[in-house]
Amino acid sequence: MALTRTTHDVLSVEWIKLELIRTAYATRGGLVARMDPRVVLGWYALLALAPWFTHNLTTLGALFVLAAVFVVLARVGPLVLGLFVIGLISEMVYLAVAALFFDGDLDTVLALTEVTLKLGVVSLASLAAFVSLDPEKLSDALLALRMPATAAFAVSYGYRMMPILVEEFSTVLESARLREPAPSRGGVLGWRHLVHWATLVVRAFYPIFLNTAKSVRTTVEALEARGFTAATIDPRARAIRLASLRVTGLDLAVVAATLAAVVGCHLIGAQWPLHRG
Amino acid sequence: MTTTYDARRGTLRGTAGPTSSTSQNLMIFVLSMSLFGLSNILLEVIPDVSLGPVEISVSYFVFIPLTLAALLSPFWVALGAPLGEIVFTDLLMGDFSGLAEVEGFIQMFLAVFIAGSLIRNPRSRVQLVLGALLVVGIDKLLSAAVDLAKVWVGVEEAELVAGLPESILLLEGIGFVVDLLMSGVLFGVVPALWLVPQLHGRLEPLLGLQPREPGRPVPGSAPRATWFVVVAVLAGAGSFFFAFLEEVDMSPGALDAELDASFLWISAGAAAVLLTIAAVLFAVHRRRAAATSTLRDEDAA
Amino acid sequence: MSAPIIAAEALSFRYPGAPTDTLRNVDLRIERGDFVAVVGGNGSGKTTLCKTFNGLVPHYWSGEFAGRVTVDGQDTFTSSVAELSQTVGYVYQDFQNQLVRPTVRDEVSFGPVNFGRPDHAERTAEALEMVGIEHLAEKFVWQLSGGQSHLVALASVLALRPEVIVVDEPVAELDPAAAEEVYRRLTALNRDHGLTVITIEHHAEFIAAHARSVLLMSDGSPVWHLPTDQALARADELSRHGIPAPQIVDAAARLGLPQVPQSVADAAAMLSEHRRAPYPDPATTTATTATAPRDRPATGERSVVVAEGIRHAHRGVRGELRPVLDDLDLQLHAGDRVALIGGNGAGKTTLMKLLAGIAVPRAGEILLEGISTRSRSARRLADQACYLDQRPERMFLKDSVRADVALFPRGRGVDDAEQLVDRILRRVRLEQLSDRDGRTLSGGQQRRATLGIGLAMRPSLLLLDEPTASLDVASRDDVITMLDELSDDIACSVVATHDMHLVAEWATRVIALEHGRVLADMAPAELFASPEIMRRARLVPPQVVELGLALGMEPPPLSVAELLDACADRTEPTADRTEEAPAWR
Repeated sequence: MALTRTTHDVLSVEWIKLELIRTAYATRGGLVARMDPRVVLGWYALLALAPWFTHNLTTLGALFVLAAVFVVLARVGPLVLGLFVIGLISEMVYLAVAALFFDGDLDTVLALTEVTLKLGVVSLASLAAFVSLDPEKLSDALLALRMPATAAFAVSYGYRMMPILVEEFSTVLESARLREPAPSRGGVLGWRHLVHWATLVVRAFYPIFLNTAKSVRTTVEALEARGFTAATIDPRARAIRLASLRVTGLDLAVVAATLAAVVGCHLIGAQWPLHRG
Repeated sequence: MTTTYDARRGTLRGTAGPTSSTSQNLMIFVLSMSLFGLSNILLEVIPDVSLGPVEISVSYFVFIPLTLAALLSPFWVALGAPLGEIVFTDLLMGDFSGLAEVEGFIQMFLAVFIAGSLIRNPRSRVQLVLGALLVVGIDKLLSAAVDLAKVWVGVEEAELVAGLPESILLLEGIGFVVDLLMSGVLFGVVPALWLVPQLHGRLEPLLGLQPREPGRPVPGSAPRATWFVVVAVLAGAGSFFFAFLEEVDMSPGALDAELDASFLWISAGAAAVLLTIAAVLFAVHRRRAAATSTLRDEDAA
Repeated sequence: MSAPIIAAEALSFRYPGAPTDTLRNVDLRIERGDFVAVVGGNGSGKTTLCKTFNGLVPHYWSGEFAGRVTVDGQDTFTSSVAELSQTVGYVYQDFQNQLVRPTVRDEVSFGPVNFGRPDHAERTAEALEMVGIEHLAEKFVWQLSGGQSHLVALASVLALRPEVIVVDEPVAELDPAAAEEVYRRLTALNRDHGLTVITIEHHAEFIAAHARSVLLMSDGSPVWHLPTDQALARADELSRHGIPAPQIVDAAARLGLPQVPQSVADAAAMLSEHRRAPYPDPATTTATTATAPRDRPATGERSVVVAEGIRHAHRGVRGELRPVLDDLDLQLHAGDRVALIGGNGAGKTTLMKLLAGIAVPRAGEILLEGISTRSRSARRLADQACYLDQRPERMFLKDSVRADVALFPRGRGVDDAEQLVDRILRRVRLEQLSDRDGRTLSGGQQRRATLGIGLAMRPSLLLLDEPTASLDVASRDDVITMLDELSDDIACSVVATHDMHLVAEWATRVIALEHGRVLADMAPAELFASPEIMRRARLVPPQVVELGLALGMEPPPLSVAELLDACADRTEPTADRTEEAPAWR
């Protein structure tokens, strides 16, 4: 058997921790990272809703370019961007093929371009807004918008618990992998191995359910003891947490610029209108 | 040693009350969030297989929220699970998509809550099978409705474009069947049938809860009023879906351009309504929970 | 006398569905400024008692609650957990789960912010300073070591400016140096800030050095609550409740000394004074039978593991490799009982996983029974080597201990699997409990169950990660004895540990790691005679070793028995001395 094992860096605890730290530090100094998170949410809503008010392809194209500019300003990494572009194109191709199959024509393809452009603008806007926004800041913004404190808490709790949970799971899975019997032959396309792995993963959840339940108990007791429930009633707690949020000139400037640009897109569209059919 | 058989000297001030207090609900919520979040991280790692436009992939491990909902309070499990997905994978792995997350949250919440509430007896295999299929069914039906709505609103006179509605319906249909099989049966029904009986009576004591008994109402289940709301929302979504189906065969020209713009407002309004409903559900439940705990305090006094 | 900070009157508590009361008729007064060690065997109600102090019982744990607990004059039954928590801070045994925020500063300010304190920033700074972790403020919680996490948990409850701090078994999850650090901080808080400190503790050494009073619990009620010196004088009673006397006290008693020594220096002085001290004569001590059979086997022995040029690294934030093991060579022979020591992050766990073939090194070659770990899957290597995780519950995959033990032999189609499983369950003395889920067992039973799982795999190399961590002294001794018995079945065992009693009483070879390299490879006695290596590996030697070193013994004795033997060589036979002088108080 010509098996040579090497080290993999995926789904290890270290990998998860790295992903987390990357998210936390992903603020590579981009524009969005310096803005007030509440304003970012508003700005996102503005850009995400704008394309749905028009059927003018010129306007849509301009909005798409605008969103792309913001993505660049937010310094979104090339990998995320590449995946997005590929996803967008393949979506369109599949829809077009299917539509042609049902007696569609060029008109259908244009119609699809329209909806793809709209969805594309929305996706670009979320890339720009959220990829470089620190989860803790988003949590504060949610709290500011009067979302339930539980949701805001969930964000920072997830941040804290994810490495622990993944470590727990990978240890249990490892233990199961070593001790559970494995199929000796793979079968067609290695289906037996697939089934084996799927079974291992599902079975690993029995200990994981129980172990997690045990640790969650401590967490919730500790939360209670440190006034988590009290804070959901006490307005002072919310005030303190939100004290760090401040709308600056930069925020206003970005929103104003975006508004102007969106209006500009509509003007361009009005100048050179392009409609389907 | 000598005191062990003495009579209890102190006055008894409280006995084991109802098994669902605010902190226990919080515990169920956090547990559901953590476990479903963890399973989503796993799925993030497994590569998806695509056959053309149709993805042959597991969207989520349905058995996790289903098992929890069968054993514990469906309401809090249903709130926790979609939030776990959003927080653990989408947000922390840098894959957050704004408004689309809200859609996903509401779909999953309704799916898990309805399916979980239908399971009256965690030992009943029939109920578990139905539950698993319902979670996937409801979630995917709602998401198909949202997808259709996007095309309908996004494209001028969508129903006039030759082949468009059919092709979208076809893709959605295939996706629905694949999801029902992969997520609903292989990673829903099958694991749940094994896991629920295993955990029944083992998981609850760890959280300080009494195991659920067949027929006994679950503490923390939604009041009747929420059921009405849930049914109304589902009926609304369903009627939208079927309206679209009818639209495909309708004669052209039934809609004029002005009506078209109003679709935007309808969809934005729909999102707002859904959000409000979620908020109302939450508030109603909180008040009920508060009422229960006051009751308990009165009992105790 | 001023009003007590905590008072319980006729307190009883029963968990829902439990057949008996966990707390029964507890009457108790804890004075302001006290440092109380709560002791007692498993199931004596220590933790439940402490949870009544901040109202978790009965507000969080519903059940039958009778009697009254007052904290600073407040009746806990009529006030809430949130209110009480501002008077009583609680640090859990599994404190890692207590930390809920991403960064240390957020974590510490969480309480004050939740309670809406305008001075939350000052409180946070003050709490960080009180436990001396200002430098960690901006770190992420997951970047901390165990000891640092514990101090953060402590700071986070201090930020509410409580008057009482309850700490549940700080020693359980920490290495000895970190535990000592936590106790030093607690003592400073008690002395300088007048805080009342309550700890749950099994280790007499820590009680003797830090506590002002001791509360002994048994079957849900206090047996007595006495000042520390009086409490420690009741050694027989304590040892019946799972708290053996410190080694120096034990040794002094068995040598028939009249006083109780307070420290190693004390004991050494007493021994010299009473002419019990052995002469530092290498010729006699190396010849004692106690150390002879534990010498390293001759180099002609069969090698179980040959590792050459091992390098391993984890990925850093920017994708760079951060070395864990650095060009490490190692040979393990049949008959070796290896203790792997070193501070946190020295690479102990990584090395063990590489040796078991669970992971492969980035460079270098490991031969396990002559098989390269690169050439075979981890699953197949499990026939040769078995790694037991530090947390037993991670090894329990099935719903009963029996199913867990049987999993491997059944899966591999071992012929007499059922008899094998029966034999092993007998061996680890879990036949009666074999139908229970492993998670429901006590700490010591859980360790024995994992040992059973390992034995059923019939490996030639058994690797154990911290098998005695978080065990009380009695369960620990139990596990050490069992490890001792198992050596007939297993060619070579490796144990990563901070527990110097385990090293002293079980190991024949000690390998100290530092920065991914072998710092030292020697016999246990040599290790204890090298304070520099001990310090670098963050270890504290057992008291009897320190005593031996203070008396100039070379090599030092590794157990009280060896010390007694050495003393016996010097003086008249001591065969019936223990009967003569059972009480040393």
